Amino acid sequence: MIVGDLSRRELGERLAGDGLALQFGPFNLRIRSNLDSFSGLAHRLYEPYPLPDAEAISDFHVQISAPRGLRRWARRQACFGVDGQFPFAPYAVEHAFPALEWGINWCVATRAHHLLLLHSAGVERDGQAILFPASPGDGKSTLCTALVHSGWRLLSDEFGLVRPEDGMLLPLPRLIPLKNESIEVIRKFRPEAVIGPSFLETRKGTVAHVRPPLDSIRRAQEPARPRWFVFPRWVPNAPLTFEPLPKSQAFLMVATNAFNYEVLDGTAFRLVSDMVRFCDSYSLIYSDLDEAVNTLDELSQAGDG
Amino acid sequence: MLWQAWDDVYIVYQPSSAETHVFNETTALILKCLEDGPLSADKVKGQTEAALGVGPGELAKEDFAFATMRLEELGLIESLDETLAIQ
Repeated sequence: MIVGDLSRRELGERLAGDGLALQFGPFNLRIRSNLDSFSGLAHRLYEPYPLPDAEAISDFHVQISAPRGLRRWARRQACFGVDGQFPFAPYAVEHAFPALEWGINWCVATRAHHLLLLHSAGVERDGQAILFPASPGDGKSTLCTALVHSGWRLLSDEFGLVRPEDGMLLPLPRLIPLKNESIEVIRKFRPEAVIGPSFLETRKGTVAHVRPPLDSIRRAQEPARPRWFVFPRWVPNAPLTFEPLPKSQAFLMVATNAFNYEVLDGTAFRLVSDMVRFCDSYSLIYSDLDEAVNTLDELSQAGDG
Repeated sequence: MLWQAWDDVYIVYQPSSAETHVFNETTALILKCLEDGPLSADKVKGQTEAALGVGPGELAKEDFAFATMRLEELGLIESLDETLAIQ
């Protein structure tokens, strides 16, 4: 069963009641909300996502709701909560949707320590994955969005989830939040992309969410083997450069980029070492998405041979 | 400790502090010399020179002293009178 099997009214009742149980890759969430505007958008953008089995345990109980007490009358706000705690200051109610999406990422980044969490986008094709470790603003979400609308499967735009047992990457194909100029870039690059409304003046500027292609969502339980690290950086008007990186440098860039390298101790060292040993690593500077996608297509085709 | 060598760069994971260090070849080889037990500073220097493939005395005293001081600062080795040992 998927979210789209529920009517808008049924979805709203679940959100306002015991919560909407939703499966995002390896995580089961239960989402509650008493905000009508959130319910409408969730129905549209979460439409193809699966509902877990009734007996499945929820990893996170999250909510995005109007605050209680006097505050709710003073100003229309939305509070993100997890397991009954409210870790962030209230958001403008108009920003409830991105606030929940950020909150879910925060839950993964701070709690899912049974996995190595790389701050990285990831895509897969023919069983081989590219990881894009990057800092905010380096263009990893934009590049990732372009690739998943060009024949690659989305693993995640935010997390490289590495399973310690075998080093495989677990998909987490959630909505991709594009920021500012990237929104228009993707609208032009792939007009058919499903993009939600633009939220103006959020804490991260203008944000709009891209729904991943259906194939990525349907294959969310299919792990992938990491094959390449590509460290992207978007530089306006720059000619494309794509250069191999020494493994020692790649190791440091991956390790320092992980959310929980220190938490996982020697396990993280072993996992990063194994990945860097097996993967080829490159730096990519780009300004043109078509050029970048072509370069990575060629890399993938060469890797097949 | 866990080791990973790439080219002439050594990456070392120190379980006692959960820190990962990046060492050049000389520093890493000094540390490796001490993995089997304490040694005098002279012996460590001699074994390091042999591992580096240079002749006795060719590793500058200042370079050796700097590397051992750095390892000691990181809590990876300690000086025991005339000998060095892994902590």
